[in-house]
Amino acid sequence: MRTLIYALQTAMKSIWHEKWINLLTVLSVGIGLLILSSFATVTLNVDSALKRWAKGFGMVVYLDGDLTGKAENELKRLFLQDPDIIGVKYISKEQAVRELRRTLGENASILDELDENPLPSSFELKLKRELLKPDVVKKKAEQISRLKGVEEVQYGEKWLSSLNTLSTILKTGAVFLGCAILVAIVFITYNTIKIFFYRRKDEIETLKLLGATRTFIRLPFLIEGLFIGIAGGLISAVALFGIHSMISFKGADILPAIRALMVAPPMRAYMAIVIAGAAMSLTGSFIAVGRIRY
Amino acid sequence: MIQFSGVSKYYDGDAVLKDISFTIEKGELAYITGPSGVGKTTLLKLIYCAERPDGGQIIVAGWDVGKLKQGTIPFLRRNVGIVFQDFRLLFNKTVFDNIALALRIHDMQPREIKETVNNVLKDIRLKHKEHVFPQHLSGGEQQRIVIARAMVSRPTVLLADEPTGNLDMDTSRNIMSLFREINARGTTVLIATHNNALFHGTGRRVLYLSNTHIEKEAVG
Repeated sequence: MRTLIYALQTAMKSIWHEKWINLLTVLSVGIGLLILSSFATVTLNVDSALKRWAKGFGMVVYLDGDLTGKAENELKRLFLQDPDIIGVKYISKEQAVRELRRTLGENASILDELDENPLPSSFELKLKRELLKPDVVKKKAEQISRLKGVEEVQYGEKWLSSLNTLSTILKTGAVFLGCAILVAIVFITYNTIKIFFYRRKDEIETLKLLGATRTFIRLPFLIEGLFIGIAGGLISAVALFGIHSMISFKGADILPAIRALMVAPPMRAYMAIVIAGAAMSLTGSFIAVGRIRY
Repeated sequence: MIQFSGVSKYYDGDAVLKDISFTIEKGELAYITGPSGVGKTTLLKLIYCAERPDGGQIIVAGWDVGKLKQGTIPFLRRNVGIVFQDFRLLFNKTVFDNIALALRIHDMQPREIKETVNNVLKDIRLKHKEHVFPQHLSGGEQQRIVIARAMVSRPTVLLADEPTGNLDMDTSRNIMSLFREINARGTTVLIATHNNALFHGTGRRVLYLSNTHIEKEAVG
């Protein structure tokens, strides 16, 4: 315990004595973590938007024009029994026309020119959210289209594929960027602590000759590294909160829906930033101090 | 207390010490002498494990030094006070903190550290310099601080490497009298010096090191 207190005092003195190099390191760590957390927040928001969109994702199954009511009921029963389908809505030919009239609005009169209703009856199916992957949906659509009485199956294939690709790119990017930045933080702290270690080389030699244990020698450097990581993490967390709040409030003047659409990083994400900073800096310091040989 | 049995040390294949054997008894004050570069410092380094022997066995205060693991070396050194030729004082710490450092390493209570260091400073008559930084002290004062730091944790063995190297005769006499006081309290003291005047007429045992081996033992 006394060793820890002495190490804390030594580390605090060194932090103050080497304040400029420490400040630069803290800012470098903070900026690195801010870039990482900002990217993660963007990914979180895009993912959330995708999930929102996925809630309304539907597949339209157009039926043959000459299908009997009994056959339609049989299809409905099949859809209701399918565990992958969570919503089934039948739209008759008449409902389809009414929908079309509503959509056309003022131009709906062109429908009066038609002799008969050309629109087919259909089913709107909602799939389970976890199935909303392009290849899975495509497979499902093909399976349904093979059913007797089904004319055509339509869904936003290109949209689904594009959004899925965007989500995958962002997530992969976040992982790569995250790894690169975390390694950079280890390296930045390693360099700073290594400099401090070399500057105090004579003192360390004397400590070793006086009988100091490795822990006694290492501890002040590890505490200093930990301080750098925590301070950098805190700066990054405060900056992220500030930027997010600013976009959310100021951005609402330009795009009012932004406040409702934007997802704030959860409290544990802010804690994770500080913990990541601390862990990476501690790792860097540990490597910098290295193996102490007597 | 210190026992060398057939100890050898080589640097790049050249023998510095070869088949060295001697014993320093508990509570003894002894000298090791010889011309510069003969291996006196190496011999002391072998005792506090800054160097490892290439042959033979060294026992210090019950520790088989040659077999010590890295993690155990600090605990041997806590039993061996060292007065370095180049002082090794920390110039960013005051006189008080330089001496206190040895006790902090021993995990001593702050109050106890203060009391012990103050007593030691009184013993070496430098209490009035406790807040001064070493670079503002004379050579003799710096050497007294080094001795105080080596002794403050009450080691069983005290090693001194050319302790009067750069000091005038009067200061040297004071330093040597400090070593005698320390020895009188029961500490085993081994002093390496090339200066014959330090041990002449002392009646203490002197080991003459020459050309890699102990040439003779005599009483100073």
